[in-house]
Amino acid sequence: MLLEVKNLYKTYADGFEAVKGVSFAVERGEVFGILGPNGAGKTTTLEMIEGLRPITSGSVIIDGLDVQKSPYAVKERIGIQLQSSSFFQNLNLVELLKLFNDLYLESSDPMTLLKEVGLEEKAKSQVKALSGGQKQRFSIATTMVNKPVAIFLDEPTTGLDPQARRNLWELVEQIKKKGTTVIMTTHYMEEAEVLCDRVAVMDEGKIIAEGTPKQLIQDLLGRGFKPRQKVEPASLEDVFIDLTGKEIRD
Amino acid sequence: MKRNLVSLWSLTVASIKMYFRNTAAIFFTMFVPIAFIGVFGLLSKSEGTKLTLDITNQSNTALSRSVVDAIKGVKTFQVAETSQHEAADKLSKGKLDLQIIIPQDFGDTGPDGKILPNHIHALFNSAKPQNGQTANLIIGQIIAGINAKIAGTPQIIELEPAGVLTKNLGAIDFLLPGILAISIMQLGIFSVAFAFVSLKTTGALRRIQATPTHPLNFIVAQAITRLIVGVMQVVILTGLGIWLFGFHLNGNPLEFLVVALLGVVLFLAFGFTVAGYAKDENSAAPIANLITFPMLFLSGTFFPRDAFPSWLTSITDYFPLTFLADALRRIANEGVHLTALGTDLLGMLVWGIIMFFVAVRLFRWE
Repeated sequence: MLLEVKNLYKTYADGFEAVKGVSFAVERGEVFGILGPNGAGKTTTLEMIEGLRPITSGSVIIDGLDVQKSPYAVKERIGIQLQSSSFFQNLNLVELLKLFNDLYLESSDPMTLLKEVGLEEKAKSQVKALSGGQKQRFSIATTMVNKPVAIFLDEPTTGLDPQARRNLWELVEQIKKKGTTVIMTTHYMEEAEVLCDRVAVMDEGKIIAEGTPKQLIQDLLGRGFKPRQKVEPASLEDVFIDLTGKEIRD
Repeated sequence: MKRNLVSLWSLTVASIKMYFRNTAAIFFTMFVPIAFIGVFGLLSKSEGTKLTLDITNQSNTALSRSVVDAIKGVKTFQVAETSQHEAADKLSKGKLDLQIIIPQDFGDTGPDGKILPNHIHALFNSAKPQNGQTANLIIGQIIAGINAKIAGTPQIIELEPAGVLTKNLGAIDFLLPGILAISIMQLGIFSVAFAFVSLKTTGALRRIQATPTHPLNFIVAQAITRLIVGVMQVVILTGLGIWLFGFHLNGNPLEFLVVALLGVVLFLAFGFTVAGYAKDENSAAPIANLITFPMLFLSGTFFPRDAFPSWLTSITDYFPLTFLADALRRIANEGVHLTALGTDLLGMLVWGIIMFFVAVRLFRWE
């Protein structure tokens, strides 16, 4: 087991209970998705797991380490992509990756990292000159600096066009192939279906369902669910991609 | 340990690059103070200290010419030979300190070949009596000398003037330490508050917190960058002042620099208080202005505090900028050492300690 979250609670200073007793476990090499509407507590849960936000109660064990006891040791082993992927201004991509190398005491080659996310041509550009999809890909490149056992992606495809989204899916699949565990949040069910081995659905600070996407769909159908419209073998997004091509428009 | 050193070094290099690639930051911390020094330096330079005289020599004798030459030889005089009418016009417009008229019959000789007694008219601007009187005194001496020569009386008592090296301070000597103190304050407060708050609101700071480095390294890196910029401000502004505007740094340049850097540290404590407390740029700006604005004008930076009512003097005595400006000015003007600046240094230290604790108390990473 790579990640074990037990009975996690978060109460903010103003009394708001963002997370109310979340437990789940992620196997090594899995892609695990946390789904849920805005304000469900997905980001707070991720940030507590990552050691970025104090835990009110409960425990998180990553790779055998207790996050509350050794947050820095945990941060050395994981890669974190935040929802707002912002970086220092006035530095180019290579300079930023070198900075991250130093912060992790690593010496990954910036150009190799950029090549992996398809940004080698932007090596001397600044983040502000990148498109939304490029920014997210760069953000993922920074999480790979320390060759992490797991990476955390918080809504990596929000605001991207279909081409850029699919491109990012491919990137996540590549990362998975290398054996890195991925824990991600998303609003997009299609994305979860394509990428995630298992998902947890969160609402109002609690996990209300957990399982493989197939399992969850079967459960729903088992409860006698009837779709409102007849499901076609292709979606409108398939039409869109077919018409406009898969090539990313950055 | 190694992680902290590597992180600190790398964050400092990044922070320096960010600073020097940010044109707005360079504009406010380098160009604006230089422009201030330039403008004030030029203004204070144009205040000539020379006395202006116009001479109308209506006579054309050897004696009258020797009088004119003697007056022209006085270094503090700026002498022009003009017509009586023109000189009177300039005097009435206040452009002259003294108008001198040598009458037509000056230096004429009598039947015995001796020079006839005569007089020189001197008219001065009663609006600037000191200047006129000073000029009169000097000319009186010249004439007494010539009189004695003509009469053949030996000079028994002679005045032997000796130049004494005075500190001879000009307006720039007051202004430069004040402007430097202001630049240091703005550097410490504004450049930190805005850079930091923007990193806080965009989430760039949080990304650093997601790495295993201690976030304190980032704060120290920011402070080191400001200290480097502070050294550059001191060297550039003082250098320009000395080179272009005759600024006098009578004290030890190293002590001058040390006090300036103490000032940077002091105002960094203010800057990090604002940076740590403010949620975004919109709340940082009013807080920073509220702190700096009263000090800008009331700390004896642009003009002395002598004219203040006593209650205002006693309040402004305790402003951190007052301590810094005073310490810099006394090193530059009076050439004193750090040991003579006990009050100023103590004042800065106390403020620094207070603000350090306030900053730690109010600091928020997000």
